[in-house]
Amino acid sequence: MIQFDQVSKRYPGSDQILKNVSFSINAGEFVYVTGHSGAGKSTLLKLIAATELPTSGTVLIAHQNVSKLKPSAIPFLRRRFGLIFQDHKLLYDRNCFENVILPLRINGVSEPEAAKRVRAALDKVGLLNKEKVMPITLSGGEQQRLAIARAVVSRPSILLADEPTGNLDASYAAEIMAIFQAFNQVGVTVIMSTHDALGMSVDQNRVLHLDHGQLTENPFMQKTLNLNTPPTEKLSS
Amino acid sequence: MSTWLNHHLQSIKLVLSRMHANLLSTFLICLVIAVAMCLPSLFYLGVDNLSKLTNHMKGETEISLFLKLDVTSDDIGKIDSILAKNIAISQYHLVTKDEAWQQLQAKSKENQNISSAIEQLGKNPLPDAFFIQAKSTDPETLETLRNTLQSIPGVEQAVLNADWAKRLATLLSIGKKLVFFITALLAIMLLVIIGNTVRMQILSQKDEIQVSYLIGATNSFIRMPFLYAGVLYGLFGGLLSILMIAGIIQTFNYSVMEISRLYSSDFSLNMLNIDLYFTIIGLAVTIGWLGSYLAVTRAIRAIKIS
Repeated sequence: MIQFDQVSKRYPGSDQILKNVSFSINAGEFVYVTGHSGAGKSTLLKLIAATELPTSGTVLIAHQNVSKLKPSAIPFLRRRFGLIFQDHKLLYDRNCFENVILPLRINGVSEPEAAKRVRAALDKVGLLNKEKVMPITLSGGEQQRLAIARAVVSRPSILLADEPTGNLDASYAAEIMAIFQAFNQVGVTVIMSTHDALGMSVDQNRVLHLDHGQLTENPFMQKTLNLNTPPTEKLSS
Repeated sequence: MSTWLNHHLQSIKLVLSRMHANLLSTFLICLVIAVAMCLPSLFYLGVDNLSKLTNHMKGETEISLFLKLDVTSDDIGKIDSILAKNIAISQYHLVTKDEAWQQLQAKSKENQNISSAIEQLGKNPLPDAFFIQAKSTDPETLETLRNTLQSIPGVEQAVLNADWAKRLATLLSIGKKLVFFITALLAIMLLVIIGNTVRMQILSQKDEIQVSYLIGATNSFIRMPFLYAGVLYGLFGGLLSILMIAGIIQTFNYSVMEISRLYSSDFSLNMLNIDLYFTIIGLAVTIGWLGSYLAVTRAIRAIKIS
Protein backbone atom coordinates (compact mmCIF):
# COMPACT_ATOMS: atom_id res chain seq x y z
CA MET A 1 0.00 0.00 0.00
CA ILE A 2 2.76 2.44 0.98
CA GLN A 3 6.35 1.84 -0.07
CA PHE A 4 9.42 3.98 0.58
CA ASP A 5 12.51 3.00 -1.36
CA GLN A 6 15.79 4.76 -0.47
CA VAL A 7 13.91 7.98 0.20
CA SER A 8 15.88 11.06 1.19
CA LYS A 9 14.58 14.53 1.86
CA ARG A 10 16.48 17.76 2.17
CA TYR A 11 14.86 21.19 2.41
CA PRO A 12 16.68 24.01 0.67
CA GLY A 13 19.29 25.47 2.98
CA SER A 14 18.98 22.77 5.63
CA ASP A 15 20.52 19.44 6.60
CA GLN A 16 19.18 16.21 5.21
CA ILE A 17 15.99 15.43 7.13
CA LEU A 18 15.54 11.84 5.89
CA LYS A 19 18.37 9.61 4.72
CA ASN A 20 17.78 6.58 2.48
CA VAL A 21 14.64 5.48 4.25
CA SER A 22 13.03 2.28 3.01
CA PHE A 23 9.99 0.50 4.39
CA SER A 24 6.57 -0.67 3.34
CA ILE A 25 3.23 -0.58 5.07
CA ASN A 26 0.42 -2.94 4.22
CA ALA A 27 -3.28 -2.24 4.34
CA GLY A 28 -4.80 -2.54 7.80
CA GLU A 29 -1.56 -2.05 9.73
CA PHE A 30 -1.18 0.21 12.76
CA VAL A 31 2.24 1.82 12.54
CA TYR A 32 3.90 4.14 15.01
CA VAL A 33 6.58 6.49 13.69
CA THR A 34 8.74 7.37 16.64
CA GLY A 35 11.85 9.42 17.23
CA HIS A 36 13.14 12.50 18.96
CA SER A 37 12.13 16.02 17.94
CA GLY A 38 13.62 16.78 14.54
CA ALA A 39 14.16 13.12 13.70
CA GLY A 40 12.07 13.48 10.54
CA LYS A 41 8.74 12.00 11.68
CA SER A 42 6.59 14.84 10.34
CA THR A 43 8.56 14.96 7.10
CA LEU A 44 7.95 11.25 6.64
CA LEU A 45 4.20 11.75 7.08
CA LYS A 46 4.26 14.74 4.70
CA LEU A 47 5.92 12.56 2.08
CA ILE A 48 3.18 9.96 2.51
CA ALA A 49 0.49 12.65 2.26
CA ALA A 50 2.27 14.11 -0.79
CA THR A 51 2.46 17.55 0.76
CA GLU A 52 6.20 17.20 0.18
CA LEU A 53 8.08 15.34 -2.53
CA PRO A 54 11.26 13.33 -1.92
CA THR A 55 14.63 14.77 -2.92
CA SER A 56 15.65 11.27 -4.02
CA GLY A 57 14.22 7.78 -3.85
CA THR A 58 10.72 6.55 -4.58
CA VAL A 59 7.48 6.93 -2.65
CA LEU A 60 4.75 4.63 -3.88
CA ILE A 61 1.20 5.08 -2.67
CA ALA A 62 -1.16 2.40 -3.96
CA HIS A 63 1.39 1.65 -6.70
CA GLN A 64 1.53 5.30 -7.78
CA ASN A 65 4.90 7.02 -7.79
CA VAL A 66 4.17 10.30 -6.02
CA SER A 67 7.08 12.12 -7.69
CA LYS A 68 5.73 11.29 -11.12
CA LEU A 69 2.16 12.34 -10.45
CA LYS A 70 0.86 15.42 -12.21
CA PRO A 71 0.26 18.30 -9.75
CA SER A 72 -3.44 18.13 -10.64
CA ALA A 73 -3.58 14.46 -9.53
CA ILE A 74 -2.10 15.04 -6.07
CA PRO A 75 -5.30 16.39 -4.44
CA PHE A 76 -7.08 13.20 -5.48
CA LEU A 77 -4.29 11.12 -3.94
CA ARG A 78 -4.64 13.10 -0.70
CA ARG A 79 -8.33 12.24 -0.53
CA ARG A 80 -7.26 8.65 0.24
CA PHE A 81 -5.91 9.91 3.57
CA GLY A 82 -7.46 11.21 6.73
CA LEU A 83 -5.02 13.72 8.19
CA ILE A 84 -4.81 14.55 11.90
CA PHE A 85 -2.42 17.13 13.28
CA GLN A 86 -1.02 17.95 16.68
CA ASP A 87 -2.48 21.47 16.43
CA HIS A 88 -5.80 20.06 15.10
CA LYS A 89 -5.95 22.60 12.24
CA LEU A 90 -9.62 23.24 12.90
CA LEU A 91 -11.50 26.21 11.50
CA TYR A 92 -12.39 28.22 14.56
CA ASP A 93 -14.89 30.45 12.78
CA ARG A 94 -17.04 27.42 11.90
CA ASN A 95 -19.01 25.16 14.19
CA CYS A 96 -18.21 21.46 14.64
CA PHE A 97 -20.61 20.38 11.91
CA GLU A 98 -19.11 22.82 9.39
CA ASN A 99 -15.59 21.65 10.25
CA VAL A 100 -16.39 18.01 9.71
CA ILE A 101 -18.35 18.52 6.49
CA LEU A 102 -15.41 20.21 4.71
CA PRO A 103 -13.84 17.02 3.20
CA LEU A 104 -17.23 15.91 1.94
CA ARG A 105 -17.76 19.26 0.24
CA ILE A 106 -14.35 18.87 -1.38
CA ASN A 107 -15.44 15.42 -2.57
CA GLY A 108 -18.64 16.91 -3.96
CA VAL A 109 -20.96 14.82 -1.77
CA SER A 110 -24.54 16.11 -1.82
CA GLU A 111 -25.63 18.08 1.26
CA PRO A 112 -28.21 15.58 2.61
CA GLU A 113 -25.78 12.66 2.28
CA ALA A 114 -22.95 14.76 3.73
CA ALA A 115 -25.08 15.77 6.74
CA LYS A 116 -25.81 12.09 7.49
CA ARG A 117 -22.15 11.17 7.29
CA VAL A 118 -21.05 14.12 9.42
CA ARG A 119 -23.44 13.11 12.19
CA ALA A 120 -22.21 9.50 11.96
CA ALA A 121 -18.58 10.68 12.25
CA LEU A 122 -19.39 12.98 15.18
CA ASP A 123 -21.22 10.09 16.81
CA LYS A 124 -18.16 7.83 16.44
CA VAL A 125 -15.98 10.30 18.33
CA GLY A 126 -18.67 11.12 20.91
CA LEU A 127 -19.40 14.68 19.77
CA LEU A 128 -22.84 14.26 18.23
CA ASN A 129 -24.41 16.53 20.80
CA LYS A 130 -21.94 19.30 19.95
CA GLU A 131 -22.45 19.75 16.23
CA LYS A 132 -23.53 23.40 16.58
CA VAL A 133 -20.80 24.22 19.09
CA MET A 134 -17.80 26.33 18.06
CA PRO A 135 -14.50 24.39 18.37
CA ILE A 136 -12.90 27.05 20.57
CA THR A 137 -15.29 26.10 23.38
CA LEU A 138 -14.17 22.44 23.28
CA SER A 139 -11.45 20.93 25.46
CA GLY A 140 -8.13 19.85 23.89
CA GLY A 141 -9.24 16.24 23.77
CA GLU A 142 -12.58 17.15 22.23
CA GLN A 143 -10.89 19.31 19.62
CA GLN A 144 -8.66 16.40 18.67
CA ARG A 145 -11.70 14.11 18.50
CA LEU A 146 -13.33 16.66 16.23
CA ALA A 147 -10.22 16.61 14.03
CA ILE A 148 -10.48 12.81 13.91
CA ALA A 149 -14.14 13.07 12.92
CA ARG A 150 -13.11 15.38 10.07
CA ALA A 151 -10.38 12.92 9.05
CA VAL A 152 -12.64 9.87 8.97
CA VAL A 153 -15.83 11.41 7.58
CA SER A 154 -14.82 10.76 3.97
CA ARG A 155 -14.02 7.11 4.89
CA PRO A 156 -10.32 7.17 4.00
CA SER A 157 -8.39 3.92 3.87
CA ILE A 158 -5.39 5.47 5.67
CA LEU A 159 -5.27 7.70 8.73
CA LEU A 160 -2.14 9.81 9.08
CA ALA A 161 -1.78 11.34 12.52
CA ASP A 162 1.10 13.68 13.30
CA GLU A 163 1.62 13.63 17.09
CA PRO A 164 -2.13 13.66 17.76
CA THR A 165 -1.69 13.30 21.50
CA GLY A 166 1.27 15.67 21.77
CA ASN A 167 -0.68 18.48 23.42
CA LEU A 168 -3.03 16.32 25.48
CA ASP A 169 -2.83 15.07 29.04
CA ALA A 170 -2.71 11.33 29.71
CA SER A 171 -6.47 10.75 30.03
CA TYR A 172 -7.30 12.59 26.79
CA ALA A 173 -4.37 10.86 25.04
CA ALA A 174 -5.71 7.44 26.05
CA GLU A 175 -9.13 8.44 24.74
CA ILE A 176 -7.66 9.41 21.37
CA MET A 177 -5.54 6.26 21.16
CA ALA A 178 -8.63 4.15 21.82
CA ILE A 179 -10.40 5.84 18.91
CA PHE A 180 -7.47 5.10 16.58
CA GLN A 181 -7.38 1.49 17.72
CA ALA A 182 -11.11 1.22 17.02
CA PHE A 183 -10.68 2.49 13.47
CA ASN A 184 -7.74 0.17 12.90
CA GLN A 185 -9.84 -2.78 14.04
CA VAL A 186 -12.31 -2.12 11.24
CA GLY A 187 -9.52 -2.21 8.64
CA VAL A 188 -8.30 1.39 8.46
CA THR A 189 -4.52 1.70 8.16
CA VAL A 190 -3.24 4.00 10.88
CA ILE A 191 0.16 5.68 10.72
CA MET A 192 0.87 7.79 13.77
CA SER A 193 3.95 9.76 14.63
CA THR A 194 4.82 10.29 18.28
CA HIS A 195 7.83 11.10 20.38
CA ASP A 196 6.07 9.84 23.47
CA ALA A 197 6.19 6.12 24.18
CA LEU A 198 3.38 6.44 26.69
CA GLY A 199 0.15 5.00 25.41
CA MET A 200 1.75 3.08 22.58
CA SER A 201 0.52 -0.49 22.38
CA VAL A 202 3.75 -1.73 20.85
CA ASP A 203 3.00 -5.36 21.52
CA GLN A 204 0.33 -5.37 18.83
CA ASN A 205 1.55 -2.67 16.46
CA ARG A 206 4.54 -1.93 14.35
CA VAL A 207 7.08 0.80 15.12
CA LEU A 208 9.24 2.73 12.67
CA HIS A 209 11.88 4.50 14.73
CA LEU A 210 13.74 7.44 13.22
CA ASP A 211 17.03 8.73 14.51
CA HIS A 212 18.47 11.78 12.77
CA GLY A 213 16.60 10.94 9.60
CA GLN A 214 17.47 7.26 9.47
CA LEU A 215 15.38 4.26 10.39
CA THR A 216 17.06 2.47 13.28
CA GLU A 217 16.36 -0.43 15.53
CA ASN A 218 13.18 -0.05 17.48
CA PRO A 219 14.01 0.96 21.01
CA PHE A 220 10.63 -0.12 22.32
CA MET A 221 10.52 -3.66 21.02
CA GLN A 222 11.92 -5.79 18.23
CA LYS A 223 8.88 -5.77 15.99
CA THR A 224 10.39 -3.88 13.12
CA LEU A 225 11.18 -6.52 10.57
CA ASN A 226 10.99 -4.09 7.70
CA LEU A 227 13.40 -1.48 9.01
CA ASN A 228 15.83 -0.38 6.32
CA THR A 229 14.74 -3.25 4.18
CA PRO A 230 13.94 -2.29 0.61
CA PRO A 231 10.36 -3.12 -0.32
CA THR A 232 11.51 -5.61 -2.94
CA GLU A 233 13.47 -7.60 -0.37
CA LYS A 234 10.54 -7.51 2.01
CA LEU A 235 8.19 -8.80 -0.62
CA SER A 236 10.53 -11.68 -1.50
CA SER A 237 11.17 -12.64 2.14
CA MET B 1 -21.51 15.61 -13.15
CA SER B 2 -23.30 15.68 -9.79
CA THR B 3 -19.95 16.32 -8.05
CA TRP B 4 -19.31 19.25 -10.37
CA LEU B 5 -22.81 20.60 -9.82
CA ASN B 6 -22.54 20.13 -6.04
CA HIS B 7 -19.28 22.11 -6.01
CA HIS B 8 -20.92 24.99 -7.88
CA LEU B 9 -24.04 24.98 -5.72
CA GLN B 10 -21.96 24.83 -2.53
CA SER B 11 -19.78 27.69 -3.76
CA ILE B 12 -22.75 29.92 -4.60
CA LYS B 13 -24.37 29.12 -1.25
CA LEU B 14 -21.13 29.81 0.60
CA VAL B 15 -20.55 33.12 -1.18
CA LEU B 16 -24.13 34.29 -0.61
CA SER B 17 -23.91 33.42 3.07
CA ARG B 18 -20.59 35.29 3.37
CA MET B 19 -22.11 38.29 1.59
CA HIS B 20 -25.12 38.15 3.90
CA ALA B 21 -22.85 37.98 6.92
CA ASN B 22 -20.94 41.08 5.68
CA LEU B 23 -23.89 42.98 4.31
CA LEU B 24 -22.49 46.49 4.71
CA SER B 25 -19.13 45.80 3.08
CA THR B 26 -20.87 43.87 0.29
CA PHE B 27 -23.21 46.79 -0.30
CA LEU B 28 -20.31 49.25 -0.37
CA ILE B 29 -18.39 47.21 -2.95
CA CYS B 30 -21.53 46.93 -5.07
CA LEU B 31 -22.08 50.67 -4.70
CA VAL B 32 -18.55 51.41 -5.93
CA ILE B 33 -19.16 49.17 -8.94
CA ALA B 34 -22.55 50.79 -9.54
CA VAL B 35 -21.16 54.33 -9.47
CA ALA B 36 -18.23 53.37 -11.67
CA MET B 37 -20.57 51.76 -14.20
CA CYS B 38 -23.08 54.60 -13.91
CA LEU B 39 -20.72 57.41 -14.92
CA PRO B 40 -19.71 56.20 -18.41
CA SER B 41 -23.22 54.84 -18.97
CA LEU B 42 -24.81 58.23 -18.36
CA PHE B 43 -22.20 59.89 -20.54
CA TYR B 44 -22.91 57.30 -23.22
CA LEU B 45 -26.64 57.89 -22.91
CA GLY B 46 -26.08 61.63 -23.29
CA VAL B 47 -23.97 61.14 -26.42
CA ASP B 48 -26.39 58.54 -27.78
CA ASN B 49 -29.43 60.75 -27.30
CA LEU B 50 -27.68 63.74 -28.84
CA SER B 51 -26.65 61.53 -31.71
CA LYS B 52 -30.26 60.47 -32.28
CA LEU B 53 -31.31 64.09 -32.12
CA THR B 54 -28.67 65.01 -34.70
CA ASN B 55 -29.79 62.19 -37.00
CA HIS B 56 -33.31 63.46 -36.69
CA MET B 57 -32.15 66.95 -37.57
CA LYS B 58 -30.09 65.69 -40.50
CA GLY B 59 -33.34 64.77 -42.23
CA GLU B 60 -34.29 68.37 -42.07
CA THR B 61 -31.07 69.74 -43.53
CA GLU B 62 -31.84 71.85 -46.51
CA ILE B 63 -30.11 74.07 -49.00
CA SER B 64 -31.35 77.63 -49.22
CA LEU B 65 -30.93 79.03 -52.73
CA PHE B 66 -31.04 82.83 -52.61
CA LEU B 67 -31.50 84.42 -56.06
CA LYS B 68 -30.08 87.67 -57.29
CA LEU B 69 -32.24 90.67 -56.57
CA ASP B 70 -32.62 91.50 -60.29
CA VAL B 71 -33.86 88.06 -61.48
CA THR B 72 -36.99 88.08 -63.62
CA SER B 73 -39.87 85.65 -63.43
CA ASP B 74 -38.49 83.98 -66.59
CA ASP B 75 -35.17 83.42 -64.82
CA ILE B 76 -37.03 81.93 -61.85
CA GLY B 77 -38.89 79.62 -64.22
CA LYS B 78 -35.58 78.41 -65.73
CA ILE B 79 -34.10 77.77 -62.32
CA ASP B 80 -37.27 75.92 -61.34
CA SER B 81 -36.95 73.61 -64.35
CA ILE B 82 -33.25 72.98 -63.59
CA LEU B 83 -34.15 72.01 -60.00
CA ALA B 84 -36.97 69.77 -61.19
CA LYS B 85 -34.54 67.79 -63.37
CA ASN B 86 -31.91 67.33 -60.60
CA ILE B 87 -32.21 63.76 -59.33
CA ALA B 88 -30.36 64.59 -56.11
CA ILE B 89 -33.21 66.79 -54.99
CA SER B 90 -36.07 65.29 -53.08
CA GLN B 91 -38.34 68.31 -52.95
CA TYR B 92 -38.16 72.07 -53.12
CA HIS B 93 -40.34 75.10 -52.93
CA LEU B 94 -40.12 78.72 -53.89
CA VAL B 95 -40.60 81.57 -51.49
CA THR B 96 -40.88 84.77 -53.47
CA LYS B 97 -39.47 88.03 -52.16
CA ASP B 98 -43.02 89.29 -51.51
CA GLU B 99 -43.96 86.19 -49.54
CA ALA B 100 -40.75 86.45 -47.53
CA TRP B 101 -41.40 90.12 -46.84
CA GLN B 102 -44.93 89.39 -45.62
CA GLN B 103 -43.65 86.59 -43.40
CA LEU B 104 -41.00 88.86 -41.95
CA GLN B 105 -43.50 91.60 -41.26
CA ALA B 106 -45.87 89.14 -39.62
CA LYS B 107 -43.14 87.80 -37.37
CA SER B 108 -41.81 91.27 -36.54
CA LYS B 109 -45.10 92.20 -34.92
CA GLU B 110 -44.09 90.03 -31.98
CA ASN B 111 -40.92 92.09 -31.43
CA GLN B 112 -41.08 95.90 -31.25
CA ASN B 113 -37.38 96.43 -32.08
CA ILE B 114 -37.49 94.34 -35.27
CA SER B 115 -40.78 95.93 -36.26
CA SER B 116 -39.37 99.45 -36.07
CA ALA B 117 -36.21 98.37 -37.93
CA ILE B 118 -38.31 96.95 -40.79
CA GLU B 119 -40.37 100.12 -40.99
CA GLN B 120 -37.16 102.09 -41.44
CA LEU B 121 -36.12 99.92 -44.42
CA GLY B 122 -38.86 101.37 -46.54
CA LYS B 123 -38.66 98.79 -49.33
CA ASN B 124 -38.34 94.97 -49.49
CA PRO B 125 -34.62 93.97 -49.34
CA LEU B 126 -35.28 90.24 -49.50
CA PRO B 127 -34.47 88.08 -52.55
CA ASP B 128 -36.55 85.31 -54.08
CA ALA B 129 -35.42 81.98 -52.67
CA PHE B 130 -35.77 78.26 -53.25
CA PHE B 131 -35.65 75.94 -50.22
CA ILE B 132 -34.37 72.55 -51.30
CA GLN B 133 -34.51 69.20 -49.54
CA ALA B 134 -31.83 66.80 -50.79
CA LYS B 135 -32.31 63.05 -51.02
CA SER B 136 -29.02 62.31 -49.29
CA THR B 137 -28.01 63.38 -45.81
CA ASP B 138 -24.34 62.66 -46.45
CA PRO B 139 -22.35 65.87 -45.81
CA GLU B 140 -20.09 65.40 -48.86
CA THR B 141 -23.01 64.76 -51.24
CA LEU B 142 -24.78 67.79 -49.84
CA GLU B 143 -21.69 69.91 -50.36
CA THR B 144 -21.44 68.77 -54.02
CA LEU B 145 -25.10 69.58 -54.57
CA ARG B 146 -24.62 72.99 -52.98
CA ASN B 147 -21.74 73.73 -55.38
CA THR B 148 -23.85 72.63 -58.36
CA LEU B 149 -26.71 74.84 -57.31
CA GLN B 150 -24.38 77.75 -56.66
CA SER B 151 -23.27 77.65 -60.30
CA ILE B 152 -26.80 78.09 -61.74
CA PRO B 153 -27.13 81.48 -63.45
CA GLY B 154 -29.20 83.90 -61.39
CA VAL B 155 -28.26 82.34 -58.09
CA GLU B 156 -26.67 84.74 -55.63
CA GLN B 157 -25.85 82.24 -52.86
CA ALA B 158 -26.50 78.60 -52.05
CA VAL B 159 -26.41 78.01 -48.29
CA LEU B 160 -26.16 74.56 -46.80
CA ASN B 161 -27.83 74.66 -43.40
CA ALA B 162 -26.00 71.64 -42.02
CA ASP B 163 -22.79 73.15 -40.76
CA TRP B 164 -23.94 73.08 -37.16
CA ALA B 165 -24.95 69.44 -37.54
CA LYS B 166 -21.49 68.60 -38.88
CA ARG B 167 -19.87 70.35 -35.96
CA LEU B 168 -22.15 68.54 -33.54
CA ALA B 169 -21.40 65.21 -35.23
CA THR B 170 -17.69 65.86 -34.77
CA LEU B 171 -18.22 66.71 -31.12
CA LEU B 172 -20.29 63.56 -30.69
CA SER B 173 -17.52 61.49 -32.26
CA ILE B 174 -15.11 62.96 -29.70
CA GLY B 175 -17.70 62.24 -27.01
CA LYS B 176 -17.94 58.58 -28.07
CA LYS B 177 -14.17 58.22 -27.88
CA LEU B 178 -14.24 59.84 -24.45
CA VAL B 179 -16.90 57.35 -23.31
CA PHE B 180 -14.65 54.51 -24.45
CA PHE B 181 -11.61 55.80 -22.57
CA ILE B 182 -13.57 56.66 -19.42
CA THR B 183 -15.09 53.16 -19.48
CA ALA B 184 -11.66 51.59 -19.95
CA LEU B 185 -10.17 53.60 -17.08
CA LEU B 186 -13.07 52.83 -14.75
CA ALA B 187 -12.89 49.15 -15.74
CA ILE B 188 -9.23 49.09 -14.70
CA MET B 189 -10.17 50.81 -11.44
CA LEU B 190 -12.89 48.19 -10.82
CA LEU B 191 -10.47 45.37 -11.60
CA VAL B 192 -8.12 46.70 -8.95
CA ILE B 193 -10.90 47.25 -6.38
CA ILE B 194 -12.51 43.83 -6.88
CA GLY B 195 -9.12 42.14 -7.07
CA ASN B 196 -8.05 43.76 -3.83
CA THR B 197 -11.32 42.88 -2.09
CA VAL B 198 -10.99 39.25 -3.13
CA ARG B 199 -7.32 39.21 -2.15
CA MET B 200 -8.28 40.42 1.34
CA GLN B 201 -10.93 37.70 1.54
CA ILE B 202 -8.36 35.09 0.54
CA LEU B 203 -5.97 36.30 3.22
CA SER B 204 -8.72 36.20 5.85
CA GLN B 205 -9.51 32.62 4.81
CA LYS B 206 -5.92 31.48 4.50
CA ASP B 207 -6.26 28.83 7.24
CA GLU B 208 -9.32 27.35 5.59
CA ILE B 209 -7.55 27.27 2.24
CA GLN B 210 -4.51 25.55 3.73
CA VAL B 211 -6.63 22.93 5.51
CA SER B 212 -8.66 22.39 2.34
CA TYR B 213 -5.49 21.79 0.34
CA LEU B 214 -4.29 19.31 2.96
CA ILE B 215 -7.47 17.28 2.75
CA GLY B 216 -7.54 17.10 -1.01
CA ALA B 217 -8.99 20.30 -2.41
CA THR B 218 -8.07 21.12 -5.99
CA ASN B 219 -7.13 24.61 -7.18
CA SER B 220 -10.47 24.95 -8.93
CA PHE B 221 -12.32 24.06 -5.71
CA ILE B 222 -10.38 26.76 -3.84
CA ARG B 223 -10.82 29.27 -6.63
CA MET B 224 -14.52 28.71 -7.28
CA PRO B 225 -16.10 30.64 -4.35
CA PHE B 226 -13.85 33.62 -4.97
CA LEU B 227 -14.74 33.67 -8.66
CA TYR B 228 -18.41 33.51 -7.76
CA ALA B 229 -17.84 36.35 -5.29
CA GLY B 230 -16.39 38.50 -8.11
CA VAL B 231 -19.22 37.57 -10.47
CA LEU B 232 -21.89 38.30 -7.85
CA TYR B 233 -20.28 41.62 -6.89
CA GLY B 234 -20.39 42.51 -10.59
CA LEU B 235 -23.98 41.33 -10.98
CA PHE B 236 -25.31 43.19 -7.95
CA GLY B 237 -23.21 46.26 -8.78
CA GLY B 238 -24.53 46.19 -12.36
CA LEU B 239 -28.15 45.90 -11.20
CA LEU B 240 -27.66 48.74 -8.74
CA SER B 241 -26.10 50.78 -11.52
CA ILE B 242 -29.16 50.22 -13.74
CA LEU B 243 -31.45 51.38 -10.94
CA MET B 244 -29.34 54.50 -10.50
CA ILE B 245 -29.31 55.24 -14.25
CA ALA B 246 -33.08 54.71 -14.53
CA GLY B 247 -33.61 57.03 -11.56
CA ILE B 248 -31.35 59.74 -13.00
CA ILE B 249 -32.95 59.51 -16.48
CA GLN B 250 -36.39 59.70 -14.93
CA THR B 251 -35.34 62.83 -13.03
CA PHE B 252 -33.93 64.51 -16.14
CA ASN B 253 -36.58 63.31 -18.56
CA TYR B 254 -39.20 65.73 -17.27
CA SER B 255 -36.92 68.73 -17.94
CA VAL B 256 -35.84 67.39 -21.35
CA MET B 257 -39.46 66.90 -22.40
CA GLU B 258 -40.27 70.44 -21.26
CA ILE B 259 -37.47 71.86 -23.42
CA SER B 260 -38.45 69.62 -26.35
CA ARG B 261 -42.00 70.88 -26.15
CA LEU B 262 -40.73 74.46 -26.46
CA TYR B 263 -39.11 73.41 -29.77
CA SER B 264 -42.28 71.63 -30.89
CA SER B 265 -40.59 68.26 -30.54
CA ASP B 266 -41.69 65.10 -28.78
CA PHE B 267 -38.09 64.15 -28.01
CA SER B 268 -37.45 62.41 -24.67
CA LEU B 269 -34.63 60.38 -23.13
CA ASN B 270 -34.96 56.67 -23.73
CA MET B 271 -35.28 54.94 -20.34
CA LEU B 272 -35.70 51.39 -21.53
CA ASN B 273 -32.34 50.92 -23.23
CA ILE B 274 -32.19 47.12 -22.90
CA ASP B 275 -28.96 46.80 -24.90
CA LEU B 276 -27.22 49.25 -22.59
CA TYR B 277 -28.50 47.49 -19.48
CA PHE B 278 -27.32 44.09 -20.73
CA THR B 279 -23.97 45.63 -21.61
CA ILE B 280 -23.64 47.13 -18.12
CA ILE B 281 -24.39 43.80 -16.44
CA GLY B 282 -22.21 41.84 -18.85
CA LEU B 283 -19.32 44.25 -18.39
CA ALA B 284 -19.67 44.36 -14.59
CA VAL B 285 -19.85 40.56 -14.33
CA THR B 286 -16.84 40.15 -16.65
CA ILE B 287 -14.81 42.69 -14.70
CA GLY B 288 -15.82 41.01 -11.42
CA TRP B 289 -14.81 37.60 -12.69
CA LEU B 290 -11.53 38.81 -14.18
CA GLY B 291 -10.56 40.80 -11.08
CA SER B 292 -11.24 37.78 -8.87
CA TYR B 293 -9.48 35.39 -11.20
CA LEU B 294 -6.31 37.47 -11.29
CA ALA B 295 -6.35 37.98 -7.52
CA VAL B 296 -7.11 34.39 -6.59
CA THR B 297 -4.63 32.89 -9.04
CA ARG B 298 -1.86 35.11 -7.69
CA ALA B 299 -2.84 34.62 -4.04
CA ILE B 300 -3.20 30.84 -4.00
CA ARG B 301 0.18 30.49 -5.68
CA ALA B 302 1.64 32.21 -2.63
CA ILE B 303 -0.14 29.97 -0.12
CA LYS B 304 2.08 27.14 1.07
CA ILE B 305 0.65 24.12 2.78
CA SER B 306 2.39 22.57 5.71
